[in-house]
Amino acid sequence: MSDAAIVAEGLGVRFLFDRHRRPVTPALARLRRRGEERWGLRDVGFRAGPGEGIALVGPSGAGKTTLLRAIAGILPADRGVLRVGGRVTTLLSIDAGLLSPLTGAENAELLGVLDGRTVRAARAQAGAVRRATGLGEEFGRPVASWSQGMRARLGLALAEQGAPAILLLDEVHEALDHEFRAVLEEHARALLAAGGIIVAAGHDHPMLERICERGLLLRDGAIAADGSFAAVREAYVG
Amino acid sequence: MRYGRGPGRLVKWLLDPFALVGVLLILVTVLLDRPGAAPGLSLACAVVPFQLVVMTVLNAMGAVVARRSILLNLDFDRVLIPLSSACTEFAAFGASAVLLAGMMAVYGVAPTLALLWLPAVLAVTAAFAVGCAYAAALFGLWFPELRSLGLSMVRALFFLAPGIVAIEDIPSPADDWVKLNPLSGLFEAFRSIVLDGTAPAAWSLLVPLGAAALLLALAFPVFRRDQAHFAKVLG
Repeated sequence: MSDAAIVAEGLGVRFLFDRHRRPVTPALARLRRRGEERWGLRDVGFRAGPGEGIALVGPSGAGKTTLLRAIAGILPADRGVLRVGGRVTTLLSIDAGLLSPLTGAENAELLGVLDGRTVRAARAQAGAVRRATGLGEEFGRPVASWSQGMRARLGLALAEQGAPAILLLDEVHEALDHEFRAVLEEHARALLAAGGIIVAAGHDHPMLERICERGLLLRDGAIAADGSFAAVREAYVG
Repeated sequence: MRYGRGPGRLVKWLLDPFALVGVLLILVTVLLDRPGAAPGLSLACAVVPFQLVVMTVLNAMGAVVARRSILLNLDFDRVLIPLSSACTEFAAFGASAVLLAGMMAVYGVAPTLALLWLPAVLAVTAAFAVGCAYAAALFGLWFPELRSLGLSMVRALFFLAPGIVAIEDIPSPADDWVKLNPLSGLFEAFRSIVLDGTAPAAWSLLVPLGAAALLLALAFPVFRRDQAHFAKVLG
């Protein structure tokens, strides 16, 4: 897991809007009358290496989620460079990428295939995922009937498969019960001990401090402070 | 998912195309009093490929948004999304084979060697559906408020093709214009091999194949370039 690395240099992510302020893709922007453009990330630069836990803090709309999505490869870098080494797994929403009409087993298979496994491997892995969730019979029922905590358990169990090097968390932990938070913290500490990287965004500073020694303060899409978590929190909340 | 999870889903899957042909069959044979030769089978030859195309378009128009939770949580090859819409509908389309066989039995139409053309006709139908899927996926994402209009336009293509009446019943020169509709070729190709027992005319395969190539040439490169930015619209 020592190949885990994140390098961002002058990273920028741009959002385009039409004249009605609806977000548009670049191709659609050529068809519709253009409105404003906004940079969700501006000139972001940082490096993260093995065993490093980084907390992203800042007000809503500061660019925390955008940065996590860029690291995950969900959003492209429109400017600058972003290099990510090692397998990335994500818990960027409570839904954790699950489709509600599908059962837990079907979601596990689907997300396994989308993560690059063969259908056979994803199917074989579903058993291990089921055990990891501890959801028992519920695993065979549609996710639509599950609580947020159950969905997050499946999301984390899927993230644990295939030995991730980088785990990205976006406020997911803040909506969950204490039991699951403890599970998540234990998982995060194990990953860091094994040389992985955690990047977590949120407003639950005590929990972020327990898993992240370093902090990045984001304001208006740019890094306003980078340092120890305590120093960055101080810069943010005063 | 579409047909539920219970034991009745197989029955629902099989009855779906019968229900659609039944409506049009009543229209043609009772209300319009234009029965023609084996009207149910002739209609089925049009409805079967049309269902694949229209359901693929419907599925693809909502395909990107339907996968929003995955798109915002996972990096994967989004180019596969429209293809998965077409594959899903092709699986549903399998029930139509039962419809065609049933209609052949009802009208006493014996299978001929022309059915050996079926894989080629299916391949052209699938290619056209895939071409439509990429165009529809972009259209549905870019213009969500126009999805109903888009679907209506595709449905209108059925009535601008020899769907309810065979092409030989369309007066000249309108029949030549109708051949430019890719659906006309698909309908007539199915009728040739299933109803008439003859090889499909070259135009009936080449026009939809050309349309598929054109749609893919226009939509696929745009979809591939734009897919990296889908999360910006969905997020």
